[in-house]
Amino acid sequence: MNAVEWYFVLAALLFCIGAYGVLARRNLIIVVMSLELMLNAVNLALVAVANFVPAAAGRGTLFVLFVITIAAAEVTVGLAIVIANYRNRRTVQADEYHEMKG
Amino acid sequence: MPGGDFHPVYFSIVAAWILVAGVGVVASRSVVRAAVSMVLCFLGVAFAFALMNSALLAIVQILIYVGAISVVIIFGIMLTETPAGPRHQFFNRQSVIAAPIVVATAVLVAVILVSGDLLTAGETAVNPGLRQLSSLLFNRYVLPFELVSLVLLAAMIGAIVLARREDRQ
Repeated sequence: MNAVEWYFVLAALLFCIGAYGVLARRNLIIVVMSLELMLNAVNLALVAVANFVPAAAGRGTLFVLFVITIAAAEVTVGLAIVIANYRNRRTVQADEYHEMKG
Repeated sequence: MPGGDFHPVYFSIVAAWILVAGVGVVASRSVVRAAVSMVLCFLGVAFAFALMNSALLAIVQILIYVGAISVVIIFGIMLTETPAGPRHQFFNRQSVIAAPIVVATAVLVAVILVSGDLLTAGETAVNPGLRQLSSLLFNRYVLPFELVSLVLLAAMIGAIVLARREDRQ
């Protein structure tokens, strides 16, 4: 295995840790944190490609900059939704939102 | 900017740091502890960026993630309230099913990424300088750059509208 593949394995592991948090945690704020972990994993893989594959030099770094910007926007809107829901329901536990359950 | 080599020892340390902190986010019982683990994980990713010889991204990571996003999330923790106590359940009902699915996904993704021969990667990092990067950003990728500022504006307005206290009556 060469360098970029080690970073890919690290990114895959971090991505799946975050995915488990999104799937299994009840607290919506921890779900948002786990989403950030997943985005960080993708950034790690992108930087690995950008820095170890000569054909991708530069563009990967730019993509990571864009991903970081969108992640900042995403966490702001996500937490605003969590807080708006908290105001209505007094809870941030994901499985206590069940109004639309038939 | 000179290329950097792959350091197995440093990589192992940083990888262990990132993974332990990531597990700390997912597994910790208190939200504040999860937030601290998240900050540590972001720092670890910044170290990984620095290890890959991209100092710009390491600095951006520390500024945006360790600085801004962590503060936003800690504000979110302060504005909401989670019930504490030993009887409280931290994982939902699908957590048992989610674990094997996630492990299978990790193995699958890792195998696909490692076995793929689409990359002819060298052992040494090739890193574009800041000058090349900025000329790429402001010439070829200037449209995404402007669009992303629009997205940030929309997100800012949207967050204010969503989280505002409604006192219309």
